[in-house]
Amino acid sequence: MKTTDARPRDRAGAEKTMENFSALFGAQADPPPPPTALGFGPGKPPPPPPPPPGGGPGTAPQPTAATAPPGADKSVAGCGPFYLMRELPGSTELTGSTNLITHYNLEHSYNKFCGKKVKEKLSNFLPDLPGMIDLPGSHDNSSLRSLIEKPPILGGSFNPITGTMLAGFRLHTGPLPEQCRLMHIQPPKKKNKHKHKQSRTQDPVPPETPSDSDHKKKKKKKEEDPERKRKKKEKKKKKNRHSPDHPGVGSSQASSSSSLR
Amino acid sequence: MAEKFDHLEEHLEKFVENIRQLGIIVSDFQPSSQAGLNQKLNFIVTGLQDIDKCRQQLHDITVPLEVFEYIDQGRNPQLYTKECLERALAKNEQVKGKIDTMKKFKSLLIQELSKVFPEDMAKYRSIRGEDHPPS
Repeated sequence: MKTTDARPRDRAGAEKTMENFSALFGAQADPPPPPTALGFGPGKPPPPPPPPPGGGPGTAPQPTAATAPPGADKSVAGCGPFYLMRELPGSTELTGSTNLITHYNLEHSYNKFCGKKVKEKLSNFLPDLPGMIDLPGSHDNSSLRSLIEKPPILGGSFNPITGTMLAGFRLHTGPLPEQCRLMHIQPPKKKNKHKHKQSRTQDPVPPETPSDSDHKKKKKKKEEDPERKRKKKEKKKKKNRHSPDHPGVGSSQASSSSSLR
Repeated sequence: MAEKFDHLEEHLEKFVENIRQLGIIVSDFQPSSQAGLNQKLNFIVTGLQDIDKCRQQLHDITVPLEVFEYIDQGRNPQLYTKECLERALAKNEQVKGKIDTMKKFKSLLIQELSKVFPEDMAKYRSIRGEDHPPS
């Protein structure tokens, strides 16, 4: 292992390097803890103060495997100035550097919800639900939160209502008072507007469609016209060829022409 | 998985429809509609039983409480999903930026340290198994 090569190190060398580092960082007693993910130390336990260049009263213990802090990697502990080093996290570990939406195959959901505008109201999500569902639940004490905070007292099971119990549901005849008719009030839906818009948009369409159809008919007529002309010419020719002595032919032609018309 | 939800959805729709019809019967009650009312009441009981049965199949499904807040406010719960996805993407980008910046910082720090402490940094690289300083 590479870490074993670094262990046999004399104290003098270690002190030298520590002096170098202390010279670099100056008189900073407690440098800010570096990020652990990069392998520069755990950050939690403060490193022992480096010995002053001149050898002052602060005699720091030498970094050895025994004095290594609990957060440090033991395999690399005692290897000179790098006694706080930890092993780097594996490259296979999932981090924020990868696009997590693509990693979890959520592109479709992302495009679905974030690609286009989602309608604000609850009635757009549950269009078939009767009643005024867009009002806040606190308005009529119908909030789901209150159902969770104060769950209803329930028995073991739901039992069907028997004949005697049904007697309690005999109601008075006649319509409900107005204040109790909230259930049947539907919110003003935008669909109507859309429908209106559609109808508006459709309104000009019907005149267009007949005009289109008329146009097509005209085209057809135009296309049919030369054929008719030909047939008329043929009839005229036949009439001219055949004498009026043959009425059967003429009548059949007349019938065919009428059918054509 | 989806079948469970389909069953529940189907039962809920039936239940809501029964409630709606019950509301219509009650809103203008006539003596002749008493039989229909009794029938609807029992339909509601059976509907509740059916919904209760679905509970066993959905015991492992968790719903975030924030969704209920959206529904209680009369807002579309899909907005919660949308906001969650947007927040996740924004956080993902933020973390990626931090990681990239820290990587750059690490490479620069090693580069600069190598100039001042070439021996120590060579040792550091040998411990890390990096022959060349990362660019």
